[in-house]
Amino acid sequence: MKAAPFAYVRPSSVAEAVTALAEHEGMARVLAGGQSLVPMLNMRLMRPTAVVDVNRIPGLDTVAIGPEGGSIGSLTRYSTLEASADIAAHLALLTTVTRHIGDRQVRNRGTIGGSLAQADPVGEMPLACLALGASVLVQSVSGTREVPVHELLLGPYWTSLEPDELIVEVRFPTAPSLFAFSEVTRRHNDFAVLAVAVTATRTGEGFTGVRLAASGVEATAILAEDASAVLEGTSLSDAEIAAAVEATVDVADPSDDVRASAEYRVHLLRVHVRRALERLRDGGDRV
Amino acid sequence: MVDLLHRHTAAGTGLGVSLPRVEDDRLLRGEGRFVDDLHPFQALHMAVLRCPFPRAQVVSIDISAALELTGVEQILVGSQVAERSEPISVLRPVPGAPDLPFFALATDVAHFEGQPVVSVVAQSRAIAEDALDLIDVEFDPLPHVSDVVSAMEPDAPLLHPNELATNRLVTNNQERGNPDGELAASAVVASDRFFVNRVTALPMEGRAVVAEWRQGARELIVQHSTQTPHLVRKQLAEALRLDEGSIRVLTDDVGGGFGMKLGIYPEDVLACLHALELGRPVKWVEDRTEHFRASTHARESVHDASIGATADGRFTAMTNAYATDLGALNSPFGSAQLTSITFGGPYNVEHIRTERLVTVTSKTPIGAYRGYGQPESNFVREVLIDRIARQLGRDPLDLRLQNLLRPEDLPWTNHTGAILDSGDYAATLRMATERVGYDALRAAGRGPRADGRLTGVGLSCFIERTGYPSARFLANRGSQFGAHEGVTLRANRSGGIDLITGVSSFGQSSETTFAQLLSEVTGIDAGLVRVHTGDTGASPVNTGGFASRTTIAAAGAIELAGLEFVGKALRIAAWLLEIDDPTSLAVRGTDIGPRDSDGPTVPLADVFSTAILGQGIPPSEAPGLEATAYYEPQAAAYAFGSAAAVVAVDPETGDFTIERFVMVHDCGVPVNPMLVEGQVLGALAQGFGAALMEELRYDPDTGQLLNGSLLDYFAPTAADLPHVELLHTEVPSPVTPLGVRGVGEIGTIPPGAAIVNAVCDALSDPQIELSRLPVTPEAVWRALADAAAKGGRA
Repeated sequence: MKAAPFAYVRPSSVAEAVTALAEHEGMARVLAGGQSLVPMLNMRLMRPTAVVDVNRIPGLDTVAIGPEGGSIGSLTRYSTLEASADIAAHLALLTTVTRHIGDRQVRNRGTIGGSLAQADPVGEMPLACLALGASVLVQSVSGTREVPVHELLLGPYWTSLEPDELIVEVRFPTAPSLFAFSEVTRRHNDFAVLAVAVTATRTGEGFTGVRLAASGVEATAILAEDASAVLEGTSLSDAEIAAAVEATVDVADPSDDVRASAEYRVHLLRVHVRRALERLRDGGDRV
Repeated sequence: MVDLLHRHTAAGTGLGVSLPRVEDDRLLRGEGRFVDDLHPFQALHMAVLRCPFPRAQVVSIDISAALELTGVEQILVGSQVAERSEPISVLRPVPGAPDLPFFALATDVAHFEGQPVVSVVAQSRAIAEDALDLIDVEFDPLPHVSDVVSAMEPDAPLLHPNELATNRLVTNNQERGNPDGELAASAVVASDRFFVNRVTALPMEGRAVVAEWRQGARELIVQHSTQTPHLVRKQLAEALRLDEGSIRVLTDDVGGGFGMKLGIYPEDVLACLHALELGRPVKWVEDRTEHFRASTHARESVHDASIGATADGRFTAMTNAYATDLGALNSPFGSAQLTSITFGGPYNVEHIRTERLVTVTSKTPIGAYRGYGQPESNFVREVLIDRIARQLGRDPLDLRLQNLLRPEDLPWTNHTGAILDSGDYAATLRMATERVGYDALRAAGRGPRADGRLTGVGLSCFIERTGYPSARFLANRGSQFGAHEGVTLRANRSGGIDLITGVSSFGQSSETTFAQLLSEVTGIDAGLVRVHTGDTGASPVNTGGFASRTTIAAAGAIELAGLEFVGKALRIAAWLLEIDDPTSLAVRGTDIGPRDSDGPTVPLADVFSTAILGQGIPPSEAPGLEATAYYEPQAAAYAFGSAAAVVAVDPETGDFTIERFVMVHDCGVPVNPMLVEGQVLGALAQGFGAALMEELRYDPDTGQLLNGSLLDYFAPTAADLPHVELLHTEVPSPVTPLGVRGVGEIGTIPPGAAIVNAVCDALSDPQIELSRLPVTPEAVWRALADAAAKGGRA
């Protein structure tokens, strides 16, 4: 298990990094936390001509989160997210999901930007960012653009990033006040069989700003827009939750793998969407 | 129970003392010395091209581009290896089975995914792997077989047409009484087909070897991660056509073996062949991807089993016809051999038959793994017993107590000739059920708790064969090793003893326990004992560390050698102290002095130095102070116990947690109680893994391994394991030195049945039967869904 030969590039600025990416014409890979990339290199599942190590670029790990949301630098480690009081106060779902990511070593290295670029279909971070309505700011030699996460994630390990684009920050709108998160794993903090995240704000008797997302039931994390619409403005009655469960199942198309069969995933999706919504109705989860 | 055993020697470091492991200090400091820590001067590195198909004809191999790569030193293909070496021998052959030749590289047909096809040696592992990319092998995939059931279908492809007429290697039958007649006459019979999963031992250190040939010295030094250095030497000599005197195997720290590191594998032969021809050290360290395909797997069997009982609950007969998967070829230890011996378990059953059908498939060869067939038989039997209880409307505890062998029934010879030596089996079951609060759990309502979960309790009674019942037993099975251990004790001038053993140090704590055994026998402080392991150039030719046998056999050897050694030491001490009767003296920690009174003493260092110098010793004594002894146990000791699991099942998802797990266990006299607990808990972790999560899965169409990485082979982490409440009884074995029983494997045995029985108790629906390991949440959900479809549960 030794990587095939590659060039190693260690830029000291974003400009240098995207220049290197452009020069390798789509054959370079960005090294951030390396928790997915390095094993894939060693198993020769990935054979880039160059690895662009962004770890020494200053200024990519700033957390600027307040009551109206804000931004998180792409190189921010999971353990930093996990420990941030601002994130716990204003993006509590993000704090919660980091505790389900890998182990301590993984969280000390893995980054939010790396996770979104990797687009693992059952990754917690893409799911949470989807539920929170986040977007990414990406930069290339030709400039910057902002991409909503639901447009970023195209499939397993597949994003709408151009090969010469680097995610520099993740932007969050004001988060709804309530969330619920459920995850099923085969063992402690393993890759998810399935996960459900939902956010909303209670307005009088009703719930608004409902965003329901799920992973493990499609080629990538999905936003269940019809289910969210079914619930918008309702009091999350049992009947409304049941309708949302069906609307979520309608957009799910899981496959079999060693973790679970497709059939079982659909069953789990029904159970966990219902339970997450019931918990949301009861005041939601806490960090 | 019997508490005669916490006797303390003068030194206080003998039997029954929880001395800390002497191995830990170096390991915790990062000073362990594993094969990958060795960096010989000018070492070369080997990489192996492996068959990617379950079965394939090797049509052609083109190595020309790889040979041109800078840094590549040598490439070997199958035809060259077949000229230069013999097939790998089998240490523990399946009785009655024909040979299936297993060369270090596939010659014309590769029989499993991961079988070595080409080996490359280069200046670095990375270059060697780059060279693999440049080798062009044309494979012609052949029909394959993925499981033991389809292997015996009439239209199954014949996997070894030159050696076998079918895919059945051999059938071993053992029967006593009239099991079929008794079953037919039984008031109730529980029968089912059970599936036991294919798992892998998964030591944290994979296999590893460094081979170096010094032509002028005619010596091949093989540094090897193994449980059996002397058997590795034997097998390498045979495969390489060398005399044993030309091979020295050195084994330092081993990062776990669990039965998987018994004997040699193809890569060992390849590294040696390259080293012999290149005259430079060749190093190969297995990576995890290779490990999952080319290191032996374990278990995997299908059982058609029945248990019958009378209306009042007495077991009448048991039968178990089971097909075990050998994989594609023999490994050093082949498919597990203890299922038949332990199928009757701790029960009084006269009429019993076991039929072992050893079957070949197109998968990685099966080898020994902690438990070696005993978890399988326990799962099948204990689950069937609960079904009998359900049919009779009896409590599973009562039913077991009614049928367990009583202390006065022992020794009990079962249908295989195995002799259960001693123990109070029912006492362990009562202790386990009292500890877990069995009666209250059974009396509690069957409805869901406030959290929606259903709780249940399940039992599992077990035995484990520890050690081998003599070399005669092994000879009858064609085994290529004996039942004995040998040790050498040698005094040093500092007053310490060098204990030299061929047993290597792979986590089983032999360095600590051997020192304690010697302390027990001689009175010498264990801290004065330095255990030297794993050097075939220095140690007595022994058997090795496996089969829960090391402590039993070594205890005898240490006792014999220790008595000889200390007898001479006392004679020399008496001479130095000018005392007539050496038997009035005794070792007391670091000195020798009067056994029963105060008086002059002499330090061991003085006695040992005098003996080594050879000046001033009694005229009747030879210089030096050294003793070597061998000991062969004449019978196996059967460890035993009972387990109780409490589970809470989410009936909506099938998810369940093990809320309590109580295990009562007897290993006879514990040498070191703390290490006994460590062994049992470690084996339990592997038992829980195999019962709940671990399974090597193959694609039924392509025949390829689906989860050959730590990413998706679900070995449990510490966070996944339930808290275990471990209790012990201490019934000394009458058939072993010092009354010890082996302890290495027992934890792997009870979890599967205890958990399945607890889940079924929680669901309390007679239609729900779980007959397959691992028992996953999805499996429980499916069982619930199937029962609901049949109209059993709303």
